[in-house]
Amino acid sequence: MDAQFDVAVIGGGPAGSTVASYLAKAGLSVAVFEAENFPREHVGESLVPATTPVLLEIGAMDKVEAAGFPKKFGAAWTSAEDRDINHNGFRGLNHDFRAAEVLFSERDQDGVDRDHTFHVDRSKFDHILLKHAEELGAKVFQGVRVGKVDFDGELPVVEVKVGSSSTHIPVKMVVDASGRQTRLGNQLKTKIPDPVFNQYAVHTWFDGLDRKALAVNKDQADYIFIHFLPVIDTWVWQIPITDTITSIGVVSQKKRFQEYGGDREKYFWETVASRPELLDVLKNCKQVKPMKTEGDYSYGMKQIAGDNYVLIGDAARFVDPIFSSGVSVALNSARLAAKDIIAAAEAGDFKHERFAAYENKLRKAVGYWHRFIEAYYRLNILFTAFVQDDRYRLDILKMLQGDVYDDEEPKALSAMWEIIEAVESDPTHLWHPYLGQLRSPTAAPSF
Amino acid sequence: MAALSHEEIRQRISEYIEQQFLGESEVSELTDDTPLLEWSVLTSMNTSLLLSFIRTELGVVVPPTHITGRNFANLAAITDMVHSLAPQPAA
Repeated sequence: MDAQFDVAVIGGGPAGSTVASYLAKAGLSVAVFEAENFPREHVGESLVPATTPVLLEIGAMDKVEAAGFPKKFGAAWTSAEDRDINHNGFRGLNHDFRAAEVLFSERDQDGVDRDHTFHVDRSKFDHILLKHAEELGAKVFQGVRVGKVDFDGELPVVEVKVGSSSTHIPVKMVVDASGRQTRLGNQLKTKIPDPVFNQYAVHTWFDGLDRKALAVNKDQADYIFIHFLPVIDTWVWQIPITDTITSIGVVSQKKRFQEYGGDREKYFWETVASRPELLDVLKNCKQVKPMKTEGDYSYGMKQIAGDNYVLIGDAARFVDPIFSSGVSVALNSARLAAKDIIAAAEAGDFKHERFAAYENKLRKAVGYWHRFIEAYYRLNILFTAFVQDDRYRLDILKMLQGDVYDDEEPKALSAMWEIIEAVESDPTHLWHPYLGQLRSPTAAPSF
Repeated sequence: MAALSHEEIRQRISEYIEQQFLGESEVSELTDDTPLLEWSVLTSMNTSLLLSFIRTELGVVVPPTHITGRNFANLAAITDMVHSLAPQPAA
């Protein structure tokens, strides 16, 4: 039996398109099987600068720039305490203690040649990347679902279904980029729900939203905004999609959503109402899409690689949307995996150990994200303090840029955890009342 | 930075709290034992601002374990804590 392709990629989202681009550029024969017909909608609209080196490397950056997506120069956070901050002379302080906002260009980042990344309409962005992979030589099949992958023989055989008929395609190697569908994770039963996070999101688009309304600095209205609500573990994203359209999502504990018996409209509006100034802004513009929900999105895998396969992007792990890491992890995991796959193809050997470098780097990087995100939920005023503290600001910014693949753990992380432990163990600590409710189990998960 | 005396520390912190936090507050007079936490002069954000001031202007880093209700109850307690953490002059 001969392989019909060197590599089969399950899924044509950003992870799949990117890995296919790298592999096609390297001269491998690649097939991408995408179940939907693009363009299609997708959540996860805000990028971080760690996507820039990858987009440049695969040669897609010019197309992304040409699409005219809103440029994202930074990120800003607001909380219900905004009013107090302003009234108490917050603005009169010197520059190293501003409102919680960061400009990406404050820190130089390897391979990043511009001061901005993008907020994207994912139906357009994902389509650009998929077409790009195709132009580089990948065979792209849309409207084609992948069933089971048979790993029992000498070569993996991918079951490919169109309508009611199916064919079986032998390949040398399979890359699972199926996103939160986690095709191989499900088939191989290696998926583990995240022991800490079980959040739930309800989101939609609004036309005519006044993005300046809650911004402390009005010039930064096109940053991503994270608005904290005075409800435990709850926040709202505000992401520009076009000049007039803004994506808004409410993220909270899944059990809070369940209390609403599935009524997403009621849940959305009642949650937003806990910040009256935010409710005002939303009431004064027009909702242009039905509300969508996302849940059960926090998980990992016992294994992200094996003989003849790797998992990348959301198919490998997803933690939480708070720091816009999704597309960045998709692109960078694709980059790292492609490197190992190309070397494996040269050696003619696709055994598990060929993907060790990828596994190590991705696990470490996503591990930092997890610790950072967990710290954020457990004591979010700590994040505000750290981002304004000149000792830690660049370290925090490094993580917010998504620059987590090549170095040791940022020192700000261990400093944050030292404080969290001090606050949690001391009820008289001034920050004790501000602790969130998420907790890690005592036994660390194996992923 | 030359070591600050107990009185200098008290003076600097007192001025900072008066200028930054008392403007909009109902509290008009700041004494050694004005209950800053109880009267919500020191909100969580104001406490962060004060910590930043102590670090950048007085050169004293307050470790996370010290940020307790007892240490921030009033001006006298804050001054004592900062003084105890401040670099001591050579004997």
